[in-house]
Amino acid sequence: MKQSLRQMITCHWSARRIQRYLDADPSAPLAPGEVARLEAHLAICDTCAKVAEEHRILHKALSRWSGAVVDDDAAVQRLQSFVDSLVEDEQR
Amino acid sequence: MPAPVGSLTMADGHPQTDRERTRAFRQFVEPEIEVMLRVARSLTGNATDAEDLVQESLIRAFRAVDRFDGRYPRAWLLTILRRTHINMHRRRRPDTIDDWAMIRDARPAFGAAEHPSAEDAWIDSTLNPPLADAVAALDPKFRATLILVDVHDLSYADAAAVLGVPVGTVMSRLSRARDRIRRRLGPSALTPGRFA
Ligand SMILES: [Zn+2]
Repeated sequence: MKQSLRQMITCHWSARRIQRYLDADPSAPLAPGEVARLEAHLAICDTCAKVAEEHRILHKALSRWSGAVVDDDAAVQRLQSFVDSLVEDEQR
Repeated sequence: MPAPVGSLTMADGHPQTDRERTRAFRQFVEPEIEVMLRVARSLTGNATDAEDLVQESLIRAFRAVDRFDGRYPRAWLLTILRRTHINMHRRRRPDTIDDWAMIRDARPAFGAAEHPSAEDAWIDSTLNPPLADAVAALDPKFRATLILVDVHDLSYADAAAVLGVPVGTVMSRLSRARDRIRRRLGPSALTPGRFA
């Protein structure tokens, strides 16, 4: 029982860090020690490894939606020209 | 997040002359035009309004570049974009976005890659329909955060700039959005190995 309680506590600790670990966002980095501890746990815990895999797939699926919103080189070009005209007006 | 662009500015971090100001403006803005347009489409929900919004934001950014210290140009520009959007459209809910309809309508075209991996093909054919339903069911605040970070690949800080909320709020909304989606999809929908 002792073993499984310790496991539960580690799972809880891991669950609160898996998203930050996968996102690796500069605003909320995990400490190197936390990364090592989490990776060691994911290597031996199927439950947490499955959660991490679910988050990985979820992010991958959502990132594939990005093509829906901007695929418009012409608009980017027009805005680029707009920047040029702003700057040239200033220099005139 | 991009590193500070220190070499463009004088010792105190602010452009001094017109020439420097112009150079700084170009250097900060040009790499961010596409992301500004992407976020503007999220905010407005349509292409025409988005372009108008970016133009107006660029004008405001140009006027304000003297007061900008050169750190985190993307977050600076996205903050201007959000404020300009609120001014132009008198938004009642500035911490949500409007591109869900565009994303949903365009979704059938996603699987158009020429050589999708087995995982990509599985995502497009099997996962996407229930995933779209799960995203549609989210509270708009949670959906906005999820779309900015997971679809548009913004950092937490840049998403916070767009939404006008603290980074911690972005993190908690994001986490709750993802957990709600996982719960709604059920225990096997995202299970690894099913596409092995
Ligand atoms: Zn675990």
